[in-house]
Amino acid sequence: MADPQDVKDAEPAPAPTERRPLPGAEPAALTTGRVRDARVRPAPKVPSWVLKIIMAVTGTVFALFVLVHMIGNLKIFMDPEHLNTYAYWLRTAFEPLLPYEGLLWIMRIVLLVCLVAHIAAAVMISSRARASRGTHKRRGMTNLRSFAARNMLVTGTVLLAFIIFHLLDLTLGKAVAPSGYQHIENGQAYAYENVVASFSRWPVAAFYMFALLVLFVHLAHGLWTVVQDLGATGRRTRAVGLFLAGAIPLAILLGNILIPIAVLTGVVK
Amino acid sequence: MRLTLEVWRQTDPADAGRFETHVVDDATPEMSVVELLDRLNESLVEDGREPFAFESDCREGICGACGVTVDDRPHGPQPNTPSCHQRLSSWTDGQTVRIEPLRSGAYPVVRDLVVDRSALDRIVQAGGHVAIQAGTAPDADTTPVDHALAEMALDFAACIGCGACVAACPNGAAHLFVGSKLTHLASLPGGREERGKRARAMIAEMEQDFGPCSSFGECADVCPAGIPLAAIAAVNRERMRVVLRGKND
Repeated sequence: MADPQDVKDAEPAPAPTERRPLPGAEPAALTTGRVRDARVRPAPKVPSWVLKIIMAVTGTVFALFVLVHMIGNLKIFMDPEHLNTYAYWLRTAFEPLLPYEGLLWIMRIVLLVCLVAHIAAAVMISSRARASRGTHKRRGMTNLRSFAARNMLVTGTVLLAFIIFHLLDLTLGKAVAPSGYQHIENGQAYAYENVVASFSRWPVAAFYMFALLVLFVHLAHGLWTVVQDLGATGRRTRAVGLFLAGAIPLAILLGNILIPIAVLTGVVK
Repeated sequence: MRLTLEVWRQTDPADAGRFETHVVDDATPEMSVVELLDRLNESLVEDGREPFAFESDCREGICGACGVTVDDRPHGPQPNTPSCHQRLSSWTDGQTVRIEPLRSGAYPVVRDLVVDRSALDRIVQAGGHVAIQAGTAPDADTTPVDHALAEMALDFAACIGCGACVAACPNGAAHLFVGSKLTHLASLPGGREERGKRARAMIAEMEQDFGPCSSFGECADVCPAGIPLAAIAAVNRERMRVVLRGKND
């Protein structure tokens, strides 16, 4: 057994080093284990759960829109007149209850409102996420699922750029539109001719195909997030949600990507 | 087994912190990450140097005290396993193990590997409990509880409050933690009466420290209690239910 005298003779422990005070920290952090009582943020005016529901609902509107849009696009494989008649019908649908282009303008306004709300909520949510995560970012996530999740802002920005390009190309017929773009006149739409003219330029067709892949990634993770945001906790509901979150984006991808491929390979001309 | 350790050193909350490199020569595959830290600390103390501060209590995966980030992953490379059960067989001789605290803006570092997780306590204080007078224990089966429901409630009640879900989340969200509490307390007769009030209080408290959920799914991968990912959906479900129902129950 050690003699107690030995302990006394041992060198005195070095004095603890001066500790700098942390702003907002209780001085006794090292003894109580409590560093601060201050929250990361005050209670937000618009709570994050509301923002997430806004994103989920507006995102679902977009998903349903692109699904219907894709089904309409498939008419290109029937015959030119079929697609052109459909394009003109979209303008005269529900006349005389709605005015000319009434249905289109209702959809445009709804989609625009959804777009503004979706982007605003995304910006607020990601800034809150950064603040809550703090300075040390999560690293080491390598799987495919987290790739989609991590890149939602990136894929979303690409999609926004694509939407602008697509509207200029095939709706407004401006700037990036093919040189032979034909506007609707005398009850005749030229949707078929315009699509073929546009996709005959291979860089444009490539951009459409790239945007469709980006849409798939964005939508697959987005729709799976809708399942969480709208509170689906049941085992079966979640299984159905997971299936739809894969099946709907896949259908949209395949249905649409066939069109530039068909134009480039000369199947549709 | 010789392992190189990069361990986070931070003297106090104000310190910026840095990694220190040490070598442990006599590690064995059956040792846990926490035991590896013990071994390192022993040798540091023998050399008259400062050991690393870290939290650990039961060492059998039920207390939730231990929890460090190992090679960028909360608790360590084995899914759904607490740090005290992460065996060194995940590494081979000569490899490097990087150990740092659980990371989140809501978890300030107290010292070295110890973080202040009182933000989680505040959520529980806000409503993660049964506050009604429940009286003495009733006779069995006076209040019938379906067996499947009881099992489901137990699955979600398994949360040990280690907080690794938050550290795993790139958004610093606590939805798995909050969702597990909301679900199990809402399932059983004792907690059911304050279901709405609880959801409102806990989620309001959560929103001040923790981020929004983006369905990364990382939380359920690291959770040592195996809380199902469905818990993250319970947060919005319970919160919307209050709005639609407008009552405290």
